[in-house]
Amino acid sequence: MVNSKSLEIFRNYLALPLFLAMVATNAHAEVVVIVSAKSDVTSLTAEQTARIFLGKTTRFPNGDPAFPIDQVESRSVKAEFYSKVAHKNATQLSAYWAKVIFTGQGRPPIELEGNLTIRNVVEKNKNAIGYIEKRYVNRSVRVVLEP
Amino acid sequence: MVIGNYFIALFGLLFACAANAEAVTPDQPQVTFGGFGSLGVSHSTMSSGDYVLDGGIPKGPGLSNSLSTTNDSRIAGHMAAQMSPKVSVVMQIDAEYHSGNSYEPEVEFANVKYLLAPDTYTRVGRIALPTFMQSENRDIGYTYAWIHPPVEVYRQEQFTHTDGVEADYRLQTGAVGHSIKALYGRATMTTNDPPVLTTLSSKNLWGIFDTAEYGPATFHVGYQERDTNSGYILTGLAETWVKNSDLSFGAQYDPGNWFAISEWIQRKSTYKNNAMYVSAGYRVKTLTPYLTYALRNQSSFLTGFPPPSPDGIRLANRAQSTASMGIRWDFRGDADLKFQLDQVKLSNNSNGFLANVPANVNLYGSKFYVISAVVDFIF
Repeated sequence: MVNSKSLEIFRNYLALPLFLAMVATNAHAEVVVIVSAKSDVTSLTAEQTARIFLGKTTRFPNGDPAFPIDQVESRSVKAEFYSKVAHKNATQLSAYWAKVIFTGQGRPPIELEGNLTIRNVVEKNKNAIGYIEKRYVNRSVRVVLEP
Repeated sequence: MVIGNYFIALFGLLFACAANAEAVTPDQPQVTFGGFGSLGVSHSTMSSGDYVLDGGIPKGPGLSNSLSTTNDSRIAGHMAAQMSPKVSVVMQIDAEYHSGNSYEPEVEFANVKYLLAPDTYTRVGRIALPTFMQSENRDIGYTYAWIHPPVEVYRQEQFTHTDGVEADYRLQTGAVGHSIKALYGRATMTTNDPPVLTTLSSKNLWGIFDTAEYGPATFHVGYQERDTNSGYILTGLAETWVKNSDLSFGAQYDPGNWFAISEWIQRKSTYKNNAMYVSAGYRVKTLTPYLTYALRNQSSFLTGFPPPSPDGIRLANRAQSTASMGIRWDFRGDADLKFQLDQVKLSNNSNGFLANVPANVNLYGSKFYVISAVVDFIF
């Protein structure tokens, strides 16, 4: 049986952190991977998307050239994207690119600031691929993956 | 160093050209600079010999110094230039402790890369020798959990680069992505590992390597051959060039929160030996504790060669194992701090890979500990 003392402890010490944790979970932006509505690509797996963004291939599975566009480091959507798609946190991603860059194998994708900028560039370029928060999606772009 | 100066001059010229070139991809920088480094210190409880990572390092913790920075300290500068959509140039200069008893900088990589097709490129110049899964980045401590790659295995191939030509082809078959490399070249390194020659040369070096990725799993297989000027040491006869062949396998599983990796190599020269390691770690926020076990087996002499010289027997007998525990702490986005404790066991008929052991000292079967700390960074 729950007595009033327990309820008081719950209210004073546990309820607020629990509430904050729930808000934090909901605040996680829903990331989606987009291509231009003009692109022939209709869907991608997380694995295929990761290969493009990690520079392991320069093409979509259908053979079209792929130009990935990254979010800037400070964006939480970036951490969410790489965690869900490539299973890498910021440090692991940084270590991965250190290996690729310093062995002369390649370079990371170009970075653009903001969901709207990325959506506009992807819209105009048939070969571009980016990721943005879901609420910025409109008809000019096609969602190919909701990781 | 003559070759080093040649590369510096050649690539200095190429970079000057690149800096003056018209912008080909205006969204991206033309010339990029960066670098990485490690500041490490280690102590060994074995005071009758030096614990060194490879034959190019003349001294280490143990006999020469109680605390030593020679094994795990280095700094490297990196330049990359995109000269056209298809042509890029890379140069890396690395300062670490080597045979000259100094940290004098040397050219680690200096090559021109030409994109033949979207998934195929060729590189010419000084290029990485991809014998192992971490051999191209073995100097970049920031890219792996350990203080350094397991000595028993990575010491089997001390050459980190070759001067030659390489072709790389990337292939996707279903969910498996392959990166296939083939290379041809030569390599020279100065060692301080008596009785090995002070200049160890390799010619007619060729190899083929495949790295296959399937989700979080990575597999590596490699085969390489070369002629090496170690014949006199191994047999005592005038025939100086001996063919070395290396077959290597590796497997890694890294789903994000933890990793497991194992590699195996078999080398054949006038004798055959195997080395392997297994390692696993778990990532808890910024901490990555890990365990590693590495082993270099006893060698067996191959038929068809002159009888081994005493030095050849001594080199073939070198066998040891190491059990390690360590932790990596990512205290910043671009730097880590690591601690590692190694327990090293020497075989019953050798001094293992210890350097500078006095001629009359026999450490066969000894067991000792090495404790190391390092800060790795990239910039």
